Amino acid sequence: MLWYKSWLETRWRFVIGLVLLMFSAASTVFTYPEVIKLISGMPNPDLSGALGRRVSETVALARDFRGYVWSQWFRQNLIQMWGIFAVLLGTGGLVSQASGGGAIFTLSLPASRNRLLGVRAATGLVEILVLAIVPPLLVPVFSTAIGESYAVSDALVHGACMFIAGTVFFSLAFLLSTVFSDVWRPALIVFCVAVAVGLSDLVLRDLPLVSVVRLMSGEAYFRTGTLPWPGLAASVVVSSALLYAASRNIARRDF
Amino acid sequence: MADAFVIETSGLRKHYGPGGQIEALRGLDLHVPPGSIHGFLGRNGAGKTTAIKVLLGMARPTSGEARVFGLAAHVQDASVEIRRRTGFVSDDKDLYDYMTVAEMIRFTSPFFPRWRRDLEERYLRKFELPLDRKVKALSRGMRTKLALLLALCRGAELLILDEPTSGLDPAMTEEVLQALVAHVAGEEMTVFFSSHQIAEVEQIADRVTIIDRGRAVVTGALDDLKESFRRVQLVFEGDAPDATFRTPGVARVRRKGRVLSVLSSAGAEALVDEARRLNPLSVDVAPVTLKEIFLETVTVEE
Repeated sequence: MLWYKSWLETRWRFVIGLVLLMFSAASTVFTYPEVIKLISGMPNPDLSGALGRRVSETVALARDFRGYVWSQWFRQNLIQMWGIFAVLLGTGGLVSQASGGGAIFTLSLPASRNRLLGVRAATGLVEILVLAIVPPLLVPVFSTAIGESYAVSDALVHGACMFIAGTVFFSLAFLLSTVFSDVWRPALIVFCVAVAVGLSDLVLRDLPLVSVVRLMSGEAYFRTGTLPWPGLAASVVVSSALLYAASRNIARRDF
Repeated sequence: MADAFVIETSGLRKHYGPGGQIEALRGLDLHVPPGSIHGFLGRNGAGKTTAIKVLLGMARPTSGEARVFGLAAHVQDASVEIRRRTGFVSDDKDLYDYMTVAEMIRFTSPFFPRWRRDLEERYLRKFELPLDRKVKALSRGMRTKLALLLALCRGAELLILDEPTSGLDPAMTEEVLQALVAHVAGEEMTVFFSSHQIAEVEQIADRVTIIDRGRAVVTGALDDLKESFRRVQLVFEGDAPDATFRTPGVARVRRKGRVLSVLSSAGAEALVDEARRLNPLSVDVAPVTLKEIFLETVTVEE
């Protein structure tokens, strides 16, 4: 029944996220004919600077449907929107419910704090996994409607990369939710961290850093066909550490 | 500690805040025997809710020990077992606003292997709870009734109620107390309930502990307390002397003009003998109510 409770508490964030991401997948695919019409006669712009290079590359990639989907959606819109919902689904829980939100009733049940927290984390992880997999799978489906094709395997790999790497942001929000008694401070802090990570990826692109953003977009897979196993493994380790810290925090907290 | 008490605490301390500045419990000793209805009386902020939270594993004691059913309340596995055998109603009747009454029952019942379907049906009818109404749409009284139903149907051996009637009007308070008494009469269980409403404690409790600033100041069977506490009033010709008494059990001495009022927790005979040596004009011995005991033991003398 704890699963049912966690689902009731998060369902609207999840459903809204799913609908928006599915809409985003559809709009990305169905605007491609317009995009290709606009850029077909346009030479590749030669722009300098980090942003300029990004624009040039985006135009070049958009000439091919696979490149367009990756540069427009997996690298930008999807990871941004998915990231927002991953953070929102990571917030909440016992501490924010301590004042009139039912936490005392929950704690009076014969369930350990680890179990309470574990179910809450698992529910959130399943939800962000669905958000990471289902909308990308719509891309191959919608593509046929515009006469293009997109591999299901590509959609799955990009979705999986986004989920595994992006879970770091979910876990950070989850940890901060065991520290702050409202849902807004954890969300705001993680959004600030995500923006800083995103900007540093843009500015420090030439440095050999492991970027969460690049891992989330599945850039290595897109460019070379190989999966960034070390980066993904590091993400799993960091996320696990954050979730463990959250469980320790809850275990020693007074309500 | 022996297992003769359902609830037993010794030297229980709980400090909150930076550097442990706030002392919510300062060496609380509690002994609740099985089968009793034990009132836990104290002013607001006396430490009642903190003590209950420690018993249920929601707060960790700074020092001392708390045991329920002989199990250490601060040990996680033991705490889960304690909660499996305990029904609880919190002070603010903290439930899930987004669930309906039916969902709250459906959610709660699987946690308790001894959930009583017969009682669930009985209390749904008795309390006239609307199954399809969301908790957030329930009145304070209805929330209390739902919280009570969820606690009573657990098939629990112990019922812990934190201010169960707070915020209720007198009619609703009476209804809740009657339901509680009727339930306890039919089940073999121990009830431990906190309150600052002396009348309701007198109405249903057979044992009482009065807590003041984190310490138990009076404890015992209600009838014994009423029997052993006596007020001895001495009237003098002039101003009452500033006397000290050596008789054991003197709980409080008050001087006002010609009157010296002494509260004893150990009967009046020895005290009267000692008081007569002060040559008062008159000596009166009177029984005291629980309210007087409470006020005399928790009120700070100015």
